[in-house]
Amino acid sequence: MARILAVDDSPSMRQLVKLTLSSGGHEVDVATDGVEALLVADKQQFDVVITDVNMPNMDGIALVRELRRRSNYRFTPLLMLTTESTSDRKQQGKEAGATGWLVKPFDPDRLLSIVTKVLT
Amino acid sequence: MSAAASAAPCRCETLGVSAEAAAILLSFAMRESEAPAVELGTALERITSGLRPLEGAKAGELVTQELAACVRALQFHDRLMQQLAVIRNLLTRLTDHPLPQMGGFGAQRWEELLTMLRARLAEHSHHDLLELLVRTGGVAPGAAAVEAEGTSELF
Repeated sequence: MARILAVDDSPSMRQLVKLTLSSGGHEVDVATDGVEALLVADKQQFDVVITDVNMPNMDGIALVRELRRRSNYRFTPLLMLTTESTSDRKQQGKEAGATGWLVKPFDPDRLLSIVTKVLT
Repeated sequence: MSAAASAAPCRCETLGVSAEAAAILLSFAMRESEAPAVELGTALERITSGLRPLEGAKAGELVTQELAACVRALQFHDRLMQQLAVIRNLLTRLTDHPLPQMGGFGAQRWEELLTMLRARLAEHSHHDLLELLVRTGGVAPGAAAVEAEGTSELF
């Protein structure tokens, strides 16, 4: 079981990601944007962070960049879960320090298997 | 220019008013659809918790597959919201007035926005256009409309 932070500005997406990961036995916290995610991530350590890209206040790419600056998140798997699929955006995510890029809509089994994979 | 032509409503102004009303309508519809989508997700969560004791059983496995199908299908809402947000932003670019902050956008706020918009309309034709948009948008939540929700009538 892992502690996972799911970040998305869409309430229904937050819920679906949480539902999927919880059903896989993980403990899930949620945040609505990058700013809130940083506050939560500074208070407790997560094993994986899954974030949307386009969000108000701070987007997912900026969030990944900020998290990578923290020593306790330097090696933590950070996954992007987004509708964006252009190579430019993926490259931006990679350069920011993202571990992987998942395009929505996600398949629950696939999401769980990817989480297991990045944790091992 | 003839007197008739100068009296005609400006096409740009009409377009701006239409776009603003349409953008407000879209925002309201998007806001309204959020709660039912979250409600569906919550119901799925409850079903999942209720099914935990069945885990391992064949029936439980089948239901888990169905739940996964629900999770996949429910994501259409997020996709739809993103597409509608793009359309709303495009419409907002056509208006002279920035779209007001939509936080806490309930029925009362909706009425306030419509009143503000009506007050700015100079031409009678603009009023007609706005009323048409509001009526066909199907999201004007007056008290009567809210009361009528879920009712049925046989003739």
